[in-house]
This record gives sequence, C-alpha cells and structure tokens, in this order.
Amino acid sequence: MNIQTVEIENYLCYYSTNRFEFSKGLNIILGENGEGKTKFFEALQWLFIGNDHRLDLLVSSKRLSEAALGDSFSVSVSLSVEQYEQIKFLKRSFTVTKDGDQSCLIKNEIFEGIEESKKGEREKVDAETLLQQVFPAEIRKYSMFKGESELNIFDNDQALVNLINLFAEAKHYSKYSQKGEMLLTAAEKAVANNTKSRSKDKKDYEVLQADIKELNRKKDNLSTLLAENHSQLEKVDKGLKEAEKYVDNAEKLDILNSRIANLELSISDHQKQIKERYTTYLFDDNWVLVQYESIFKEYEEKISQLSKERRKLQTEYDKQQGKKEAEREAAYKLFSGQFPLPFNVPDKEIMKELIEAEHCKVCDRPAPKGSEPHDFMKKRLEEYLKLQDPKESEDPEQSTLFEKDYITELINKMNLHNDKLGEVRSIRKKVEDLFDFNKKRKLEVGDLEDKLEKEKEERNRLVGSSVLAEEKLSSIHKNYNGWQDDKTRLSKSIMEYEMEIGQLNSQIKEKQSKKDDIDLESANSFVIKTREIIRDIEIILRETVENKFNEFIEMLQEKSNKYLIDINVDSFTGNIKFDASEIDGKKRIKVSLCEEDRPIHSPNESLRTSMYIAILFAISNLAEQSREEGYPLIFDAPTSSFAEPKAGEFFNIISGTNGQIILLTKDFIGKESQSRKLFIKPEFDNVNRAKAFWLKLERPFDRNQLRTINTNVINV
Amino acid sequence: MNSLFDCWKEKIPKYSENFKDSLFASITQYGGGAERTKSDLGKHFSNAYELYMYAFFLGLYRNELSPIPKGQKKVDFSHHIQYWGNKGNRLDRTDFSNLQDFMFMALVAKTDMDILKADTGELSEEDLVNSLIQTMESYTNGGLVLIKEKLEDNPNYFLQATAFLDFMLESTNQPSK
Repeated sequence: MNIQTVEIENYLCYYSTNRFEFSKGLNIILGENGEGKTKFFEALQWLFIGNDHRLDLLVSSKRLSEAALGDSFSVSVSLSVEQYEQIKFLKRSFTVTKDGDQSCLIKNEIFEGIEESKKGEREKVDAETLLQQVFPAEIRKYSMFKGESELNIFDNDQALVNLINLFAEAKHYSKYSQKGEMLLTAAEKAVANNTKSRSKDKKDYEVLQADIKELNRKKDNLSTLLAENHSQLEKVDKGLKEAEKYVDNAEKLDILNSRIANLELSISDHQKQIKERYTTYLFDDNWVLVQYESIFKEYEEKISQLSKERRKLQTEYDKQQGKKEAEREAAYKLFSGQFPLPFNVPDKEIMKELIEAEHCKVCDRPAPKGSEPHDFMKKRLEEYLKLQDPKESEDPEQSTLFEKDYITELINKMNLHNDKLGEVRSIRKKVEDLFDFNKKRKLEVGDLEDKLEKEKEERNRLVGSSVLAEEKLSSIHKNYNGWQDDKTRLSKSIMEYEMEIGQLNSQIKEKQSKKDDIDLESANSFVIKTREIIRDIEIILRETVENKFNEFIEMLQEKSNKYLIDINVDSFTGNIKFDASEIDGKKRIKVSLCEEDRPIHSPNESLRTSMYIAILFAISNLAEQSREEGYPLIFDAPTSSFAEPKAGEFFNIISGTNGQIILLTKDFIGKESQSRKLFIKPEFDNVNRAKAFWLKLERPFDRNQLRTINTNVINV
Repeated sequence: MNSLFDCWKEKIPKYSENFKDSLFASITQYGGGAERTKSDLGKHFSNAYELYMYAFFLGLYRNELSPIPKGQKKVDFSHHIQYWGNKGNRLDRTDFSNLQDFMFMALVAKTDMDILKADTGELSEEDLVNSLIQTMESYTNGGLVLIKEKLEDNPNYFLQATAFLDFMLESTNQPSK
C-alpha cells in the first residue's frame, strides 16, 4: 500500500486546503519547531482513529475568525492510497457553523470510504472496513511513530504479543498447546485416581499429592512476586532514566553509575562466595562425621573380634567334623597355632601375582620357587580355588555351622569406608578454613561497601547540584536516591526469587518422580501408557510453540542486524541482541545493543535510535513478507538526537530501502541571523529523496493569536 | 541371603511425640505449612530426617543412650532410612545418602547383640534389626533431649547460622560419660 495524497482542510494550523502528494520511497517533510510537523502527524492519527475530544478544538482559528456569524465551512483530513493497483479514499470531516465571536457549532462528523475500480468507477464503502483493509490497526502500531521515545516498541508488555499474533507462526500452535495442557491435567488426574484406588499406601500417596500441590502453590506465589518485582524494577529504571536526563554533567554521571554498578556487582559476587549454610554442610559435606573416628575404631575392633571368633568356631567345627582334617591341621600348623586368615585374604589375583613374582609382598621377603614360603603360597591358592569350585565345595555338613554370613557383610562395609577416616580427620580443618574464608570475604565486602557509599555520595552531589528549572524536576531528583536503593533491593530480591523458584522446581521434580514410581507400581498400565503418550504430546506441542517463537525472534534479530549494518551511520561494529524471557507466563523481549556479545553500557541516543529504526524496518519487512504487501512508515522527528550531517547520511541510507517512508524533521532548516528568515540549507540538496515538502508558517504571525497561524505547504 | 544393612534401611525409626511440635515442627521444614521461608523461621533443616540424623550423631558423640521412656507415644515421619539424604537432582544440595552407612556402622558398634548367633541362625534377622533400631532411637532421643535443653536455656541459640555446627563441634570436646 502506498499513500498517494493527504489533504488537510481547516484543521488547526492548516488553513484552507493543503495537499501533499507523496511518492514511493523517502518523502521528507521539513519544518522548524512549531510550524506544523506534529500537527500533520496528528491529523493522520485523527483520520485513522477519530477521537472523543471536543471537535471544536480542531478547527482552524484563522478560518473561524474569518467566517461571518452563521457561516458554515468544513474541517477534514483525507487520504488516497494505492493498493493492488486500485485507488481508495478515506475522509474524516465535520461541519462547523460559527455562532459567536470565537465559538461554533459542530455537525455531521462523518468518516467516508470510497473505492475506485480500475475503470475509474467510484463506489462508496464502509470506511472502517476500508481502513482495516488498506492500513490495519495492528500494522499502524508498527508504522507510525511520534518522536524518538516512541521508537522503542518493546517498551510495553503487549507489543511482543501483538507482534507474534501478527507475524509469527507460533500463534497457530498456541491454541493446541493450551489443549495439550488440559489433556495432560486430565490424564494426570485419571492416573492419580487409579493409583489411589489400588495402592496400598493410599495415605502416603495423598500426602505426596498434597505436597506437590503445595509446592506448586508456593511456586505460583513466588512467580507472581517475581513478576511484580520485575515490573517495579522497570518503573524504577524508567524513573531513573528520566531523572538522569536533567543532570548537567551527564557524562560524569554515566561514569559514576557504571562504577557503582561494578561495585554492586562485585559486592554481590563476594556475597555469593560466602557460604554460610553451615547446617546443610553437616550433611552435604558429611561434617556430621566430625567425631566419627572413635566410633569407626570401635566398629573395626568389634568386627575383627567377631571375625576372629567366627573363624575359630569354624576351625573347631571343622576339626570336630574330622573332615579334611589333615589339610586344615596343616594349615593350622602353618600358622604356628594361630587362626588362619580367611581364604580370600589376600585374594586370588594377588596370590597369583605373589607366586609369579616369587616374592611375598605381604612380608616383603623373597619366596623363590621350591622354597617353603613359595610352596605355602601355592598350597593356599590351590585350597582357595578348590573352595570356589562348587563340585568340590566340601560336604553339606561343613556349611551348616553358619547358615548366614553377616560378618563378611560387616567387614566389607568397613573396608568400603576405610579411606573415609582421613577425610573425617580433616573436617575440623575444613570448618576452620571455611570460617576463615567467609571472614575474609566479609571484610572485603565491608571495604567495597564503604567505597560504594562514597561513590553514591558523589552521585548525590552531582545530581543535587544540577540546575533545576521546574518543580517537577526537583521532586524527580528527590526520588532519585530512593529509586537507586529500590533498584538494588529489587534486583536482589529478583535474584533470590529466581533461586527459590529453581529450588522449588527441583523439589517438585523429586516428588513428582516419587509419585510416578508409585503410579507405576499401582496404576493400571493402560492408564499409565495413555498418560505417557499425552505427556509426550504436551511436550511436543509446548516445544513447537517455543521453537516457533524462538525462530521468529531469531529471524527478527537477523533482519534487524542487517538493517543496522545498512543504516550504520557511526560505523558501529556491534549488533542488536534480542533476549527473550518469560515472567509469570508472559513472554518478554529485551533489546540491547551489544559489542562482542556484551551489552553496551549506555549507547548514545542516535545509536539507540538507529537500533530501533533497524528493528522497525525489520518488522515492516516481515509485514511485507507475511502479507505480500508493504506499508508506509511514518516518523515524526525520529532523528532529533542526531547531529545534522549524520541525519543527512541517515536519510540517504534509508532512502535506499524499499517501501514508502514519510519522515518529518526539523533538520536542514536554517535561520538568517539578521532577518530571522528561515531557509533550507544547501546541504539538503545532497539528501536523496523522492519528494520533499517544507511546512512554513505564513509570516507575520503572533504565537499568542491563533487566528494568525497558518501553515503553508511548499513543494521543495 | 538378605543383607543386614538392606533390612535395616527399610525401617522407619521413631521418636517421642514430645518432640514433634517443639522440635520437628519448629526447626525443620517438615510438613510445609506457611509460606514464610526457612530462614525467617530459623528452620535449619530442610527435612525431618535431617534433624533426626543430627540428633542421632549428637547423642552418639555425647554418649546419650537414652531410650524413649515407656509412657511416651512414639511417632515417625514415614520416610524410610534408605531415602535419607537422597537428593536426586536437587540443584542446591549434594546427595548424602552415604551417611546411612555410617549410622549403620555406629549402630553395629554400639549395639549389644550376638551377631555370631545370627550367623548360625540362632537369632533372627528381625531381632538383630530391631536391636539396631532400638539403639538408633535411643541415641536420637538422647540427642533431641540435648537440643531441647539448649533451646530452653537460650531460645535464640539456634537462630545463629553456626548454631547447629557449633553444637556438634562442641560435643567432640566433651568427655564420654
């Protein structure tokens, strides 16, 4: 769609009929402050939306003052556009009848729509429907911008949702994902009921269910708090930015703020290092074993004593049984009357190694082949192997003395934890080290806090000493420090909430998996399988929406960066980064300028504007792709923070982009120093554009006498 | 053959109901309840069994083997020993289920029972495990009494972050009774 003409009649400073004929490409409307630029923009807004304000306030004072009592005239804004090779007209108007010196009656407010066929036949149509056809409201939101501050479209919560609804495929899937959630809830409930009717531990299960519910409730509460904190933080940030605009030495304030931010970061880093969950370490780091050494020794003694006794009993039993007495006697003799060690000590592999090495590594003595020790070891190994052979594993009576072997279990437990003793001994040292570490960090935090305090005082002085023109500003400054404190506090609690939510999540997961185990044991397998399938489906649906969303954001980021390179007036080498996050179920986007992936602390206004405009171009490009048609972009003073040469460069660059742009600017208007006459600077000749207009008040005029105000539209 | 350890850890030891409100409800996060966070309330233990383990080791180190008096009702928190310290994938905690082994060994060391008789089958496994649980409950009861006394002495004592650690370290300096 392209705007072909705009006609403004008797609307505020536009006396009589004023016509703008636009082309494709860049249309620039020049004008000094107060000469009608913004009124042009507002006239278009009025045409599109109308308003419930008093219409008499829109009437040109000059026209009204000229009219005789009882005279009627029309106030209107109309527009013709070309869409799919068809011309369409929209006109909003009302009739004014003068009934007093400066008063009038308003009648017949109408909004008209006309379509012209290719053959030139005109037909009246419903204006609202036509408007929606030619320039849909949701597109206008991303097409018309008043001033630089409006360019940040992600400033409000709804923006992203709107954008997604307009262009992203995700919207097609989101309804299914909600369905998936419903199905899942039903399936979980079915499984729970089934489990409860069949489980032995109905009560335990109910407790588990209640716990999960409670944890989820806590999580929801925290999420709400978190969202609240986020939105408060946003407000505080806005307030701070607002206040900082008025500080004289903005650059110094910037440096101070970044120093303060660094100090705060460093303090929080230090604080994070401080570990004071001492009760938790008793368990997680096993500090509770601090005095365990004596207990372990007691255990060791008891178990070896028992083991010895057991072997003694076994040997005696064997003896009494008279079975294999010769061997056992021999073994007994071998140990000069001592009870032999269990056969598995040392174990088979070690014995083989010793025999092969012809060296007893237990007593560190050589045992050459044929020597007595070598024979001893060989015999012992043979006996061990024999014992392991089930066919030869003695006679049945042999194993009847001990039908169980708890002692071996207890020995194994002891061997398993033998190494732990060293660790147990070092617990006290570890505790002392941690105390020491924490103490040092706290001292450092104290130092940093002192420094922070000083920096803040300095900032106070700086902010306080700025010249305040208005009372409102002084109240902003009064709040400034309060906001800074709020910001710190809010950031901290956001971090805490996020951590707590993370913990709750893992607790929920833990309980859920316990519940799943019980379900698996108790519930009907058909019900379980159905739930598994539904769970998968739900994940697929949810992730699809997520992926589509991310794809969209990535595409938007990619496109925006392409435009940023195009309109990169400062040869800036960074890029735009979109950070998506979800707060309390709502998706949000934070846009920032980054250099090598690190956000730029405070990009200057013109750089920021380039970024926003790049994003807008990207969105406009998206609209063109998804709707197979482009829409004009209308900017009122988007470059007021740009220096003039830069603005020129900027215009040249955007004139090269596709689509229609209507741009209102006060750049390139000069004033002769003596005559105070306005003129268009010669530099404007170097600016590429399709069309240019100059809005200029008819001279002479008196700003206090509205009836002297009349904007002339001059084609440049 | 069942392992003695496995049989033991399937049990749920009990404690005297006297400590239910005075200790378990007030210094552990047992049962959830209000949304106030644990730090506000000085709830140092995130589970009832953590307090149980703490009291056990405390009683053990101070040699406070004091069985739950006959007239007192015994209660539990329906959580089998085998799950104690099992932190799974909780981000902020480390698994400490290995402490089960150390409790078990301490019980074996301290319980007067004839394991040889159990090996020969003269004494049932159930009897063995019951004696272990009995010892466990007694040390824990002793530990809980100590904590309660400390609390009655100075109600604010356990509000300090180091309180439970200090108390545990202190106990190492006490000569055995």
